[in-house]
Amino acid sequence: MTHDWQPDFEQLVDEHQSMVFSLALRMIGDRGLAEEIAQDVFLELDRRLGKIENADHARFWLRRVAMSRSVDALRRRRVRGADLWVEMEDHHGIHVEERTSPLGARLEQLLATLPEPQRVALVLRYQEELTPEEIAATLEAPLATVKSHLQRGLKLLRAKAQSHLKEYVRVKEQVSGA
Amino acid sequence: MEEFEEELRQALERRPAPPSLKRRLMERRRAQRPRSHAVLWQRLAACLVLAAVVGGGAVWHQREERRKGEAAREQVLIALRITGHALDHMNKQLAAHGRTQQ
Repeated sequence: MTHDWQPDFEQLVDEHQSMVFSLALRMIGDRGLAEEIAQDVFLELDRRLGKIENADHARFWLRRVAMSRSVDALRRRRVRGADLWVEMEDHHGIHVEERTSPLGARLEQLLATLPEPQRVALVLRYQEELTPEEIAATLEAPLATVKSHLQRGLKLLRAKAQSHLKEYVRVKEQVSGA
Repeated sequence: MEEFEEELRQALERRPAPPSLKRRLMERRRAQRPRSHAVLWQRLAACLVLAAVVGGGAVWHQREERRKGEAAREQVLIALRITGHALDHMNKQLAAHGRTQQ
């Protein structure tokens, strides 16, 4: 099939590097590895640029491959026995960037504790603002499965956040009482 | 959208990519391009060498078969010649024996 779209690789990198990097970072929790994954994804795009039909196709392709590479990296790491976010934060001093809301910062950390399929669905839903239908197309998964992951993930995350907030308030009360 | 989801959406805003990402990516891209050309040339050279070896082998095999065929033919001719001589000799002896009986 022929298409008139003339892609400019550098322009695509400028346009989508934040998206690809953020997807990988939210899945992996390690800035260095996320950057490496993002580079790999763009190099793969460079090799397949002739098959990309238009700008939307490029964005869709980048999202799909970024998520798939990140999940692969997570699984490789799990096989080696590493503990993802917790390990990186504890031993390498990598912290979630400062946010205006402490809950927002904590939410990002709590997200990393969710089961992988739920995390994938939530990242695509709330970072990329995709609809469940678009998430299903991106992951090549049944719509019902995606909806289930979204609901369960959101419920679990809300429960974890509430528990964290109670703990936060309790510690603060203890500190102010002392 | 309820408050929690809005909080989550804000928490998950895209992060700016580190400036080193694009620089390193472009370096890797530049490094890979010449290598991919070199690999193409190496593959082409390997194909040519392989074709030469296979072609040479086929020609050698053909010549060897022909040489063996020639040698076998020569041996058959010698054997026929020897047999012819032996039959002549036997005929002469039989003819001489017949004359003495008469």
